[in-house]
Amino acid sequence: MSGEDMDRLIERLAADSRPVRVLAPPLRRAVLLLAFMGAVALAAILTMGDMDTLRTQHAGREEMMYIETAAMLATAALAVTGAFFLSIPGRSRMWLAAPLPAALLWIALSGMGCWRDLVRHGSDGWSLGHSSDCLLFILGVSAALGIPLFWRLSRAAPIDPLRVAILAGLGTAALAAFILQFFHPLPVTFLDLGVHVAAILIVIGAASLLRGRMLIRSEA
Amino acid sequence: MEVELSGTEDNWGVLLAAAQAGDSDAYRKFLHSVLPFLRSVARARTRSDDVAEDAVQDALLTLHRVRHTYEPGRPVKPWLAAIAARRAIDAMRRRGRQSAREVHDPAAYETFADVEANPGRAGETSAELARRMSGLTPKQKEALDLVKLKEMSLAEASAESGQSVASLKVNIHRAMKKLRLGRGKEDEG
Repeated sequence: MSGEDMDRLIERLAADSRPVRVLAPPLRRAVLLLAFMGAVALAAILTMGDMDTLRTQHAGREEMMYIETAAMLATAALAVTGAFFLSIPGRSRMWLAAPLPAALLWIALSGMGCWRDLVRHGSDGWSLGHSSDCLLFILGVSAALGIPLFWRLSRAAPIDPLRVAILAGLGTAALAAFILQFFHPLPVTFLDLGVHVAAILIVIGAASLLRGRMLIRSEA
Repeated sequence: MEVELSGTEDNWGVLLAAAQAGDSDAYRKFLHSVLPFLRSVARARTRSDDVAEDAVQDALLTLHRVRHTYEPGRPVKPWLAAIAARRAIDAMRRRGRQSAREVHDPAAYETFADVEANPGRAGETSAELARRMSGLTPKQKEALDLVKLKEMSLAEASAESGQSVASLKVNIHRAMKKLRLGRGKEDEG
């Protein structure tokens, strides 16, 4: 392309310089969306959640349950916030790794809970509880939470949508897994945990595959 | 909003903020002054002037599309560098894919000015061409029309149609392929 062509391109772009609405800082946008998602989750848990069963399941390991729950929420919050940051050009790529420590802690504590049940209940600890229901729950809730999230993220028209989609997928799946705790009638077995992890990976994979449709509004 | 500033690096943030508010002069000044920086980022990534120029065009179009994501007051360079680097990577990938599946053979397009010397093409009337064109998608037709018939540059066609440079290239390639295939079928028949 000649310098003259480049000049003509710049002229065309300058001629199309209508005012634009500047995006709010990513942290503010993330906090607002997380507050919305949190309110929806809280309403669902308070109206339909089974708190008594949750308390019975975790009797004797309440502290671990709190840490595990905090790790899930931290994973969701850091992944969603990271998605908002990475949707803006030039922001730190470290956001991609930000939710990993919390996610590893969550999976590790879930694994320890499964191990405890295995020791306590013997071979029942390996049984496939309500795994298919859990899978559908995580996929369904993730899809529902993903709609507003991807809609908000698409406002930035991310230049590298894959990283944004991966974090957004992890964020919605982690939040869905958090909500699932309040609807899970049986202790989580190792196989259940495997299904939960698989569901999260499916959500991340689906978000990555659909990134073009969900994140890019004006690309031809 | 009128901004009377030079296009030096220190003023990029102010110029871009003014451009976000709709100041076309500030925007023009900004785009001209960041061009060398975009080129340097693209060249460092691609190590090829041709590919780098493609990347710079795409970077300018992307910059235009995402100019609302720049947060006034923040450094402009990382924002610009990320856009240019991303488009340079895309341009390199595109070039890699093209060279892997296409053969450059200028002789294949050789023909003669005298219609009599090209008997196989003598019947290629504009009506036939129009019929073949009807098999193209609207975007393919638009790309062909702007770039091949109106002889616009890819960047101009992109600004005119709203299609990215990459999409234009793909649509032209597919349109030409369809037109050639149509011809091949007739030759067989």
